[in-house]
Amino acid sequence: MKSTLYTSAAIVALSSAAAFADGHLAFGMEGGDFTWDSYNAYADATDLSGQTVTITGPWTGNEKEKVEKILAYFNEATGATASYSGSDSFEQDIVVSARSGSAPNLAVFPQPGLAADMASQGLLTPLPDGTAEWVRDNFAAGQSWVDLGTYANADGADELYGMFYRVDVKSLVWYSPEAFDESGYDIPETMEDLKALTDQIVEDGGTPWCIGLGSGAATGWPATDWVEDMMLRTNSPEDYDAWVANELKFDDPKVIAAIEEFGAFARNDDYVDGGAAAVASTDFRDSPGGLFEIPPKCYMHRQASFIPAFFPEGTEMGQDVDFFYFPAYESKDLGKPVLGAGTLFAITNPSDAANAFIDFLKLPIAHEMWMAQGGFLTPHAGVNTDAYESESLKAQGDILLNATTFRFDASDLMPGEIGAGAFWTGMVDYVTGADAAEVAKGIQDRWDAIQ
Amino acid sequence: MDNIAGTKSSLSWAVNISVVLLVVLWLIPTVGLLVSSFRDRDQISATGWWLSPFPVSENYQVKAPADDATADGGVNTITGNVFGEGSGKVSRFGGKRAAPTEFKAGETAQLTRDRTLTVQSDGSYIYTSPEEITRDPSIYFAAASPPDFSLDNYRTIMASDNMDRAFINTLTVTIPATIIPILIAAFAAYALAWMDFKGRGFLIALVVGLLVVPLQLALVPLLTLHNKVGIGQSFLGIWMAHTGFGLPLAIYLLRNYMVGLPRDIIESAKVDGATDFQVFTKIVLPLSFPALASFAIFQFLWTWNDLLVAKVFLPSNSESWVMTVKIADDLLGSKGGDWGILAAAAFISIAVPLIVFFTMQRYLVRGLLAGSVK
Repeated sequence: MKSTLYTSAAIVALSSAAAFADGHLAFGMEGGDFTWDSYNAYADATDLSGQTVTITGPWTGNEKEKVEKILAYFNEATGATASYSGSDSFEQDIVVSARSGSAPNLAVFPQPGLAADMASQGLLTPLPDGTAEWVRDNFAAGQSWVDLGTYANADGADELYGMFYRVDVKSLVWYSPEAFDESGYDIPETMEDLKALTDQIVEDGGTPWCIGLGSGAATGWPATDWVEDMMLRTNSPEDYDAWVANELKFDDPKVIAAIEEFGAFARNDDYVDGGAAAVASTDFRDSPGGLFEIPPKCYMHRQASFIPAFFPEGTEMGQDVDFFYFPAYESKDLGKPVLGAGTLFAITNPSDAANAFIDFLKLPIAHEMWMAQGGFLTPHAGVNTDAYESESLKAQGDILLNATTFRFDASDLMPGEIGAGAFWTGMVDYVTGADAAEVAKGIQDRWDAIQ
Repeated sequence: MDNIAGTKSSLSWAVNISVVLLVVLWLIPTVGLLVSSFRDRDQISATGWWLSPFPVSENYQVKAPADDATADGGVNTITGNVFGEGSGKVSRFGGKRAAPTEFKAGETAQLTRDRTLTVQSDGSYIYTSPEEITRDPSIYFAAASPPDFSLDNYRTIMASDNMDRAFINTLTVTIPATIIPILIAAFAAYALAWMDFKGRGFLIALVVGLLVVPLQLALVPLLTLHNKVGIGQSFLGIWMAHTGFGLPLAIYLLRNYMVGLPRDIIESAKVDGATDFQVFTKIVLPLSFPALASFAIFQFLWTWNDLLVAKVFLPSNSESWVMTVKIADDLLGSKGGDWGILAAAAFISIAVPLIVFFTMQRYLVRGLLAGSVK
């Protein structure tokens, strides 16, 4: 029985591998849902024969394979040799190599905060002239993407350093449609409904949520996403921006209220699988697994769009698992805020070929080819959305495009010591029992200390 | 008379038992790792490795194909077997995900909307519904599954691209990075132990002081230096880095050992007209072999397992990956989700250090005690 399950999973895996193992240009040179015209024009206009482009980034494993398929098309078009190497400890590696003068041409930053740090130390090179105008005109909500990629240089003047490529939507709740169907639960449209559903599940003897904050040295980050989502659902976007800039202090009652909104879910033993004590120690990669247990260990899991990579093998989107938008309060007139994050390309070692690669990223096809491989959302408005691998991804893309408010992950924008340090550890303290006001004050003190 | 040398202490059984206990205690993580290396990611997160040798009752879900439904007198029926072509034994079943083991095998379950479900213990089932069946209904059941181990993790690692290359790269880094510091340190240790010159005590203190400097401090300045002198990120660069990071311990260890050699031998050699170089090569070096071997083991293990220095001082392209980098950045999957691979990779990469250790371990104890007992 079990072996048949495994065999069928293996067959699925094999057939999908075979679909991609089609020569080194995985998508052929025509057809499909790809925008070939601009690619061909780019190929005719660009000749970089003999040049090399080196790229490093945080994508490893199968994500690296996906990038390399796209690089093959860059190489084919330009005659250059672009090579990508991913690192599990990218954030540390790029700082060491840039400071010691052996940086690759381009780096893919998972956090704008780190890119801003490096730009202020003069380790990044501004993107070619005209890129800002192009992003403004061609990305949905273009100006906000320009702002997110613009940092002060070593002299304090603002320049565009980052070009966003690959975006994650974070305001998603994952659930099992079957479990919802069998128990007669409806998808909540408002935060009030979501809370009512949570209570309903407890009443029926189930556990509503799976929450896991564990992530090795980065333990605590999933909680920062919760708090950010709650900030957007209880406060105006302006307050959120002020919070990111520390004009609204971390120990402001508004922020403490948002932390407590998160605590209302995570610190209630009845609401989370394993009880509140398990939240901090459960690994975020393992926590969605509770959705797929029989009987389900939990019914809902709030996590970003990348999480399907950690679902059990053979999980089918739409059938075994689906998602809904993490709803907003009906009683608060704040629209439908969406929290997101993204990776950006920046030039760490300038060359003509590196500039040409940035131009390559402007082509719709550079986005479509990853859309077709799954696990990729883009704000590029010129792409053919039919290229998305699945309906589910397309729906996530729609959430991104239909957001009345889009805000970038605050912890990624805050200074590294806060957003990738004090905020994480503070959240771990909070879920293990510390007082929200004290935790917030501790984080604000750290922030004061680095200013 | 119990404490006379040569007679067996009455407490020896206590010593033996505690040794056995300690060994077992120390081996538990390794055994856990070994067992985990034969399980896949889902199994590892589902149950602990200590449960893996036993058959466990697990809950499964199968879908009854709606296409097979037959309509007969207003009742739509699907029949089939939950095990498909295979076989097994159903203990309990249910029609709801929230209650997958509500009914005993053989019972007839009344489901919502007048649907019924019967599952026999051999797996055959009958599902009925008064309405037309449009969606594949799910059947949940509990069945015992035998322990399941596979070599897939090992296969994935051995079959991955460039694994042989990574292995050779690791050897390319490790062997020179072990030999070069020993060569330099042996000379330095002899000078610090047996040659009289001004500032010797200060130099020894300096070496001891260097032992406590964390190597992470030196990464960026050292790589900047390498880039300036034109070595850049290369094997030569990493040999020099490992040499530099290994030297303080090497000199300290060897010097302490050499200083403990009998003064008479060295002095009589000098009286007979031997130069310092001859004393070093003919007398001190052969006598110091245990200390050299034990340092070689240390340095070999450290460079073999090293990830940080390799990431900084070697180019980041996949042709220059050593095994640790290959495992961390390539095999572990995006965001490090493949636990099983990690366990299997640990056992593959441990093989060579184990061989080195067991062939040289008899020197290790003697060398570890270098200079500490007289």
